[in-house]
Amino acid sequence: MPRYGFVIDLKRCYGCYTCQVACKAANHTPQGIDWARCVPAETGSFPVALRQMVPLICQQCADPECLKVCPTGATTQDENGVVQVDPDLCMGCKYCIMACPYGARQTVDEWKTYFPDADGDLDPYEAYAKAQWEEKNGYGIATKCDFCADRVKEGRQPACVEACPAKARYFGDLDDPESEVSILIRRERGFQLNPEFGTDPSCYYLPPR
Amino acid sequence: MLPNLKAQSKWSWLVAAYLFLAGLGAGAYVTGVVASYLGDGWIGISKIGVCLGFPCVLVGCMFLLADLGAPLNFWRAAMRPNTSWIARGTIIITIFMVLAFIHVAFWLWPFQGLAEAVGARQFIGILGVIFAFGTMIYTGILLAASRPIAFWSTSMLPLLFLVSALSTGIMAVILLASFAGTTHAGPIHSLARFDSLVIILEMFVLGFFLQGTHRVPEARASANLVLSGAVAPLFWWGVAVLGLIVPLLLDLLGARLEGGGAITVAFVASLCGILGGLFLRQVVLSGGIHAPLRAGRFEIALPNI
Repeated sequence: MPRYGFVIDLKRCYGCYTCQVACKAANHTPQGIDWARCVPAETGSFPVALRQMVPLICQQCADPECLKVCPTGATTQDENGVVQVDPDLCMGCKYCIMACPYGARQTVDEWKTYFPDADGDLDPYEAYAKAQWEEKNGYGIATKCDFCADRVKEGRQPACVEACPAKARYFGDLDDPESEVSILIRRERGFQLNPEFGTDPSCYYLPPR
Repeated sequence: MLPNLKAQSKWSWLVAAYLFLAGLGAGAYVTGVVASYLGDGWIGISKIGVCLGFPCVLVGCMFLLADLGAPLNFWRAAMRPNTSWIARGTIIITIFMVLAFIHVAFWLWPFQGLAEAVGARQFIGILGVIFAFGTMIYTGILLAASRPIAFWSTSMLPLLFLVSALSTGIMAVILLASFAGTTHAGPIHSLARFDSLVIILEMFVLGFFLQGTHRVPEARASANLVLSGAVAPLFWWGVAVLGLIVPLLLDLLGARLEGGGAITVAFVASLCGILGGLFLRQVVLSGGIHAPLRAGRFEIALPNI
């Protein structure tokens, strides 16, 4: 079985937020909830300062903290190393939110419309998104990026990878040494976020220039 | 340069109330069982302590249920005891509640015939004390198991909650016993003196708990937040003054008084100390700060936490 992994090339990312919007369109996440995010970072101080956009997703750790603390068995790891949440089993204790070093998990209390001024019914697009969210996820429970499991099953790439105009995102099999992601990690010294927690994320970053 | 780290906001005062009541109930139960071995003068105190255990923990669990996002699934909470401390805690606390309930039931209709079965009650009591300690310690380990929050992730936190739980448990017993006027004057006097020792111990444990924050930046950020930031008023006034210094001074004062005056002083000291225990849980929860994301040279505060 392949171990699915991501490579995010920081030197190619120019912070256009397309990944964030593509994820929202694909996964129908409510207002304020983003499974894929673009976060500005900076280091140093003038005149030796550096700015960098850092795209974030669930890191799909090989040894996930969220899986260890989940009391109900709602969190599982599938055969591809992707961490899944079963919305029917989660009791919304938020322990996983406390334990995740990457802030990957979020809960939704209610559906907030993007258009509060348009009183009355949701417009058909938002109503569709709400229905999709309620079918696949729900309220009060932990939700997160699942590497677009449904799309990958159909043989497609995750939405954020497909949409990235900078070609800064790669999706593939970390177990296959000849895959594009494995080669990139080897050649360009890919690194993981917060290695001190020993979670062994399946998401690698290529260093900025 | 460290980014502007924000404290977690997902575990609110509902969780603080749960941690507090679970500790208080278990502490009171231990006080009650220990008191049952101290002679005839302590029978009333013993009953108060034992009877406090079950209802306090039950009400605490109600607060926890109120915090759940999908409370209908609460019964699944014990599905993964091999790794999750919520699952282990659910099992520990359930066994404790069952034992504490049976212990009280010995005195109730239709079981009052069993009130003579001293051996069985003592056996239940000893088992109950073991699980009471489990309950008190687990409330700390629950938080300490969350590794990205360095402020919680120390072995001092379970000890701090254990000492605070014992102290608030003793004070809850004093509080209820003092309603009976001078009936329990002797035991209240002894309990208050013992409690002053526990409070001094708690001061040391709290000091060491804060001292332990020096090692990593996110824990230092927590210490700053608690000692001089937004949580500082609650810490200094609620925990340090109201919860520790005032009860200690009143307990020491009460030791020099006699009769009704001593009871009143013990009552006020207990009320302050119990509130301080609740504030301590809230301070620890609202001081919890996640480690920043570390991407090579960049450090980023977790968004949406």
